[in-house]
Formats: sequence, structure tokens, C-alpha cells
Amino acid sequence: MQPATTEDADLVRETLEGNQLSFQLLVERYQDRMFSVVRHYARSAVEIEDIVQETFLKAFRRLDSFQHQSSFSTWLYRIAVNTALDFLKRHGRNPVTAVEDPELMQQSGPGPGVAAPDKGLEREEIARITNEVLEGLPEIFRTVLVLREFEEMSYQDMADLLGISIGTVESRLFRARAKFRDALIRLHPEYGAHEEA
Amino acid sequence: MMECQNALTLIPSYQDGELSEGQAAPLRRHLLDCFACRERAKAEVSLKRWFVAEPAVAAPSGFAAHVARRAFAGDEGLREVTLRPRAAGTSDQLLPFVLKLTALAAAVLMVLALALRSRSLPESDSLEATSLSETLEYMQALNEAELENGLGPDELADE
Repeated sequence: MQPATTEDADLVRETLEGNQLSFQLLVERYQDRMFSVVRHYARSAVEIEDIVQETFLKAFRRLDSFQHQSSFSTWLYRIAVNTALDFLKRHGRNPVTAVEDPELMQQSGPGPGVAAPDKGLEREEIARITNEVLEGLPEIFRTVLVLREFEEMSYQDMADLLGISIGTVESRLFRARAKFRDALIRLHPEYGAHEEA
Repeated sequence: MMECQNALTLIPSYQDGELSEGQAAPLRRHLLDCFACRERAKAEVSLKRWFVAEPAVAAPSGFAAHVARRAFAGDEGLREVTLRPRAAGTSDQLLPFVLKLTALAAAVLMVLALALRSRSLPESDSLEATSLSETLEYMQALNEAELENGLGPDELADE
């Protein structure tokens, strides 16, 4: 992720001065990335668009509180993820149970391996299976996997975005991958790794 | 020599490109020497292949302009109640009109009430009440005239 650019800072300042076009330019700059990250939480194009719109409207209302301590994009990603998680809660689609705090769970080992997707499998089919597995994971694990594997964020940016240490990002990602493997094998046993002789 | 347990925890970060050279170099040496950890590293690569980039979801045409307009119009999004300023030219103009109409209706009702009152008053300025005994006597005489002679009250009065 790029560090905060002068141009972002200028657009933020001009927006705060009442320039609607500057805010439109900010939205245009980041809208594709927001659609990309939100898609992993929503089930339809309408839901994605609603969440992204709300993300930008929230950002506009809070723009005067943006302190430039992190990049504008990190700040915006944080709003997008929180808006998406709020959306899931409002629609009863939050997979975290009240009695389980995943952070307190003992760190698991690497667990069983998984096979790579079949070469003949279409990308859409791989994406469908992956999203199916992600949807069943506790939200904190889903979020780190989405940010790392799809948005290709660095550990530092993820730490800034989520307000946690790099060490916590590392361990959360480790457990998220283990949970992803377990869930994938549970839902699709045919993708369990086959021991080679 | 790095232990396998340490190597296993570092493999994901290594593949994410998050290790410093000081951390990565001993891990590389370990992987060259340890078949089991190398297999684990291969499994991590297999896992990553599940995270394929999907076709981009494009923002609808005019999305940014629409959002900017909503933001500057004071739209607060999906979950919050939108409080818009009252539109000028509707209720502000309606109230004086209703008040004028009410005043006019009141004036019309007042004139109508006065007209009805004047019509229901007696035409003479002097009012005189006949005593009860006289009235009873008059009615008695009227009854007797009707029964005995077939005379009406006017004929009786003429007599």
C-alpha cells in the first residue's frame, strides 16, 4: 500500500473546505479497492454497492478527524471493513459465537495439508469454494485472510488498519490459515492433501 | 541449526515476504536440509493457490459523483435518520393562506348570524303579553262557539 500522498492530503483539505469535486476525485481513486475488499463480505452486487457507499459517506462525515497518522487508504480500509462487519451483524451473518474468543484459543499447529485446486477448475469455481469457506470463518480470521491474500497488504498495514501489533497479525494469520485448511477439508474432503510415497 | 518448530512458524511469513534477511537466511538453510519442513512449505503454497484474484467488481458508472452529491447534501447513509432542512415555499406559504381563509369564513358567518337574528325578531317595537286568565277565557269562549253555533273566534269577537 502506498504511503499517504500529498495529493490525498490536498484532496482531503479541499473537501473539508467544501469542494465537492475534490471528494469525488477521492472516491474515484479508491472506489475499486473498496469494491474489491467489500465483495468478500457481501453476497450480491447491491449489497457491495450499499456498503461501499456507506463507507464513503462515513469517511466524509469523519474527514475532519482524519489525523494523517496512517495513510488515507489505510484509514478508508478500516472504515470499509468495520462497515462490512456491521452490515453482517445487522443481517445476522456474523459467524463468531459469543462463547468463543478466537484470540484466546490455543495456537494450533499447521494441521492437515490441502491440495491446490484442480488445474481443470475454473477460476470462478475456485473463488466460489474459497468464499464459501471464508464465510464460515470467524470474522477476525476472515478479515486477515482477505487483507493479506486478496488485497496483498503488508503486515504493518494490517496492524495499522486493525489496531493490533505485527506479532498479533502474524499469529492471527497463522491460525486463520489453519482454520481455512480445516474448513476446506471438512466441506470438500476431496481437497485433502494426498500423502506422496 | 534452526529447530523444525521454529521453521514451521516462520514459513508463512517467509512466503508472505515479511521476514528480514536475518530471519530468512537460517530458514532457507533449514529448508534445504529438512524434507518435512520443505513439504510443509509446499503445502503452504498449495493453500495460497485457493486465493485467486476474482474478476474485478467495477463501480457503476457515475458512482463517485453520486456519492459526492449525497455526502454534500448531508445524506448520512443507510443506518442513520436523515434530517433535511424543511423545503422553503411549501408550509411557509400555506400557513398565511389558511389564516386568511379562516378570517374570511368567520366574517361571512358573522354577517349570516346577524341577518338571521334580525329576521326572527317581532316586527313591532312594543311587546305585550296577554294574561293567562284572559287567554283561558278566550279559549273557553272559542270552544263553546265552535260546539254550539259553529262560530269561529273572529265571528265571536265581532258579536
